[in-house]
Amino acid sequence: MLLWLLLGVAGFILLVIFYYYNKFAVLSNRIDNSLSQINVQLKRRADLIPNLVESVKGFMKHERAAIKAVTDARKTLVGARDIVGKVKADNVLENALSRLFAIAEGYPDLKANTNFLELQRELSSTEDRIAYARQFYNDSILSYNNLCTTFPGRFFSKLFHRQLKDYLEITEKEKKLVKVEF
Amino acid sequence: MQRIDFRDQISKNKRNSFLLIIIIFAIFVLFGYVISFAFDPGWFFVIMIISIIFSLSYILISYYKSDKIAIMSVRAKRASREKYKQYYDLVEGLTIASGLPMPKLYVMNSSQINAFASGRNPENAVVCVTTGALEKLEKRELEGVLAHELGHIRNYDIRYMTLVTVMVGMIAIVSEIFLRSLWFRSGDNDNRNGIFILIGIAMAILAPIAVYFVQMAISRKREYSADATAVKFTRYPNGLIKALKKIKDEHSPPEKKVSKALAPLFFSNPLKNLASTHPPIEKRIEALERM
Repeated sequence: MLLWLLLGVAGFILLVIFYYYNKFAVLSNRIDNSLSQINVQLKRRADLIPNLVESVKGFMKHERAAIKAVTDARKTLVGARDIVGKVKADNVLENALSRLFAIAEGYPDLKANTNFLELQRELSSTEDRIAYARQFYNDSILSYNNLCTTFPGRFFSKLFHRQLKDYLEITEKEKKLVKVEF
Repeated sequence: MQRIDFRDQISKNKRNSFLLIIIIFAIFVLFGYVISFAFDPGWFFVIMIISIIFSLSYILISYYKSDKIAIMSVRAKRASREKYKQYYDLVEGLTIASGLPMPKLYVMNSSQINAFASGRNPENAVVCVTTGALEKLEKRELEGVLAHELGHIRNYDIRYMTLVTVMVGMIAIVSEIFLRSLWFRSGDNDNRNGIFILIGIAMAILAPIAVYFVQMAISRKREYSADATAVKFTRYPNGLIKALKKIKDEHSPPEKKVSKALAPLFFSNPLKNLASTHPPIEKRIEALERM
């Protein structure tokens, strides 16, 4: 009788341990997955830039500086090693792009170019996706960290050596768009 | 805390869907039972076997093909990526925000601003919007509406609501058949048959009414929670608020292609009648403005 009781208790404890082990695994896999989603979208954006520069070059001969700012920012983005560096470079790229698009407003020929319009649309939807991917990444980290800090997850996080993860944050200064002056 | 809430809702939806399937099955078999006694007890086993086979195939078809049935009944067409770029862009963005797989996208011809989602789970989901919504809504407004539909998908409302829709249709058909078949009955009455006929008639009249009230109660609550989920995805309640205001102010006629049973699936009531299966738009806007 006592033996069965002990076996039952041991089985229950084992089940709880499995449950929490899997939960940690699932949540941290989700974080990895959403991180790769950010990278996919950043790469997509970087891949669009050369086409954009190509289509803009013919029209905007006197805007070398604005075009160069975009290509430079792309170069930093492609070269960045970790996600924080990439996101920072992407913010610079975003500013450079919005300046370029603002200047493009003054070129009616360019505004009528379907290729350019298509690229502009594509880039703005990629911008949305990057924002959403970052949001989902932070959400995934939130649910992981919630599990790590609340009881009984806190206890199991110690047991499995799971550490709290950092959010992907951007400072207000980085977020602010560059003012466009004519 | 919100996270725990929606997980509860998902498991509740799954459980309710399962219960509903059992109930559908039981109602069918019960109908078969009553019908066999009402007409000819000698055929009891044959009628029972037929009704069990019929109910099983009905349930299987409605579970696996519900999305296609809904899409076909409003004559919606698959949206092409070339023609509906913004539609695809917005849904793809939202799938990233929500971590959901990409649903199949459809467009239905209607001047109304409306949309619905269907399917049995997020992996087999469809989203359908009206041409009116694509034309009249701004980008962020359309995104709000689409996020609401993805909210239904994520919360497993689509499974439950589509099953209820199918059940409403089924009960309406079966009770109709039963009531009509009474006209063709031969004259030999005995008391036993009489009682079963009375039970049958009572069931045939009461069941659709009961289902209607169930349907009304369930879909109202779901609209609010899908609105909340939409905001969780977009973090921008204004898009959805502006879309709802536009719907409130538009004067499109009721959509004839949409049957009564299908109406609760939609973003806003497509029939524009008073006995609405949707919460009033003002209340939804109010709830969103408080977020």
